[in-house]
Amino acid sequence: MAKPTGELSMSSVDSLPETSNRIVAVLGNPNVGKTTLFNRIAGIRAKTSNFPGTTQDARHAQCCGAMMIDLPGVYSLDLEVSESAVCRQVLDGDLAPAGVEAQVPNAILVVIDATNLMRNMTIVAEAIARRLPMVVAVNMIDLAKRQGIHIDLERFGECIGCTVVGCSGKTGEGVDELMEAVESAKIPDRSAPTKLEAIEAWGDDIYSLVAAARQTPANDRLTDRLDRTFTHPLLGVLTFSVVMTGLFWVIFKLAAIPMDLIDAWFGTLGGWVAGLLPEGPISGLLVDGIIAGIGGTVIFLPQIVLLFFLLALLEGTGYLARASFVIDRVLRPFGMSGHAFVPLLSSHACAIPGIMAARSVPDPKDRLATILVAPFMSCSARIPVYVLLTVILFPDSPGMQAVAFTSCYVIGVLAGLFSSLIVRRTILRGPSRPMAMELPSYRFPDLKAAVMLTYDRAMMFLRKAGTLIVTISIVLWWLGAYPNSGAPFDPPVDATPQQIELMTAKAQAKNSFLGRIGDTIQPVFEPLGYDRQLTIGVLASFAAREVFVSTMAVQVVGSDDAEDDSVLASIANATRDDGTPVFTRATSWSLLVYYILAMLCLPTLVVTAKEAGGWRWAWLQLGWMTLLAYSGALIAYQAVSLLS
Amino acid sequence: MVDLAESKAQSNGSIPLTQLTRGQSGRVQIDGSPTDEVKMLRAMGLRPNASVTMCRLGEPCIISLSGACGGGCRIGLAKEIAGRVMINIESHSETQPDGQANG
Repeated sequence: MAKPTGELSMSSVDSLPETSNRIVAVLGNPNVGKTTLFNRIAGIRAKTSNFPGTTQDARHAQCCGAMMIDLPGVYSLDLEVSESAVCRQVLDGDLAPAGVEAQVPNAILVVIDATNLMRNMTIVAEAIARRLPMVVAVNMIDLAKRQGIHIDLERFGECIGCTVVGCSGKTGEGVDELMEAVESAKIPDRSAPTKLEAIEAWGDDIYSLVAAARQTPANDRLTDRLDRTFTHPLLGVLTFSVVMTGLFWVIFKLAAIPMDLIDAWFGTLGGWVAGLLPEGPISGLLVDGIIAGIGGTVIFLPQIVLLFFLLALLEGTGYLARASFVIDRVLRPFGMSGHAFVPLLSSHACAIPGIMAARSVPDPKDRLATILVAPFMSCSARIPVYVLLTVILFPDSPGMQAVAFTSCYVIGVLAGLFSSLIVRRTILRGPSRPMAMELPSYRFPDLKAAVMLTYDRAMMFLRKAGTLIVTISIVLWWLGAYPNSGAPFDPPVDATPQQIELMTAKAQAKNSFLGRIGDTIQPVFEPLGYDRQLTIGVLASFAAREVFVSTMAVQVVGSDDAEDDSVLASIANATRDDGTPVFTRATSWSLLVYYILAMLCLPTLVVTAKEAGGWRWAWLQLGWMTLLAYSGALIAYQAVSLLS
Repeated sequence: MVDLAESKAQSNGSIPLTQLTRGQSGRVQIDGSPTDEVKMLRAMGLRPNASVTMCRLGEPCIISLSGACGGGCRIGLAKEIAGRVMINIESHSETQPDGQANG
């Protein structure tokens, strides 16, 4: 980047002050390529946090001697929506991203869309009215040129009284010049109207002076055709089904390879540490608590990364807005909007990023409903349990296993829709905000922006979920490992050393704190057909659902290598204390229904409390999901028992 | 709301946005004081005298907003909102006779 000259920095007393804590607020409409431009300027220096007390993401980066803050995209500062409120507070100096000191920004960088100049004039007028040094970036100038739109940037600058730079965040064109202009930004030497009608007339006047183009953009007909297909009642749903099937295929099939590698790596690490340290509490804590806990979290990272990368690519093409549009028709009768589509889709990988993605739902009631029902979507952590139970239920029929497996997902979605309907007719009563959504132009997705967004989301997942899951895993390990002695027993005289070891492990599990809790709580789960061991498995799942299989493995075989087929077979053939099978047909169905519907994830509860704005919502989520799960499992157990 | 829009239509010759056929264009007419919803729509580009074309009928519908010198954008609008936006008819595209069936 070219360095600013001394003449430029000293040119005016209104220039951006040369202090170390300068703040540049990046302001603009949604869909103007603001984030792509910000990524181009900030690169890997960009950090993502949030604006304290809000649900808005805050991206910021130290660049060219200033802290640049990427504000949420807004159509106007004068709107009663959370994005506009955040922008107003930041520009007033009352709010800053977490970790940045709040102060009135030293400059505003207004990013506008060269292909849609007229509409963007509102935000330009509102920025001028702030009387802060400012620069206008006319972004996507390359696209405008291709569409035959010509903008006289010099004249534009004269009209609004500040520097105007044509640039492209995608290609980098004009970005160096833009940063030079930002470093020497001045308060506009012209004013702009503040009343809505006057702003529109002012914008129209400037627009007619500085812009010229052919009347009909060439790609309109193609956009028309694509829109007609993607939003068609039948073709749209078909396209949506194909895209989603492809997405899930990639997530579940391709992610399996790195997931297996991560699993194997953590297994090797655990084995290596166990071999290095003498057997005892420190080895147990490191291997079964910390390494198993971190491994249990990181194993889902490939799915999360793939999901967000593909979603970012889809968003970049402009298709995702159309998909939301198709889904709006389905979700609306249940009290949610098309905006809930991405959060609910993300929840199929993990409810935590799904709930965090609900920040994009503009209506507060819609957002709360989305957060509350997101955990009904079958996350990856349920997969091991689904696999175990469908194999137990249909041991010789892969076809029926697949049907049962798919049904689990369908039941989860239906339960979510039903719950949304209930919640919107009771505690969140009232009309939703009707849909008014800009459908961005179809474009080739920006790979760099997709990679950066994926990196951000992955780090956010690891930070928020990882630390919590690790903590809970350690607590769970301690509850399961202590007291580390079982009730004394006399092994049969013909017992092999392996059988004695197994019996010792079972006795220890029964005598542990977790075992004792299981004994106490088991009567609650008796009507569902669960014995003490299953009760412990269910209780342990509160840390994270995937813990169920390994917990069952520890109890029934004294080994936590649940990936081993023989271990899975041992679980399937496990017996109760009285010698009867643990997994009868009725119990397996009951357990499957319970795992589809139950809120068995403490980290999700914590994230719900944070994102929904209070623990009462998390308790409501837990209570409602537990009620549905218990009732569903009870009906399943009793019905199958009767039929058998 | 639709009744109100229809009575307005009779009095000043404009029709609600929802009554445009596919491919039909018109200019936005907004009267009265700006509510939050109107302010949002105007900020999105649905402002008085803006040229609007119906791209897809139904719930929600898709409209295209054109700038006087090209460009513009597409907006998906719920029927509830679209019914409140009045349009002065401008022209009708003859190239999309299948439009009625798609709505």
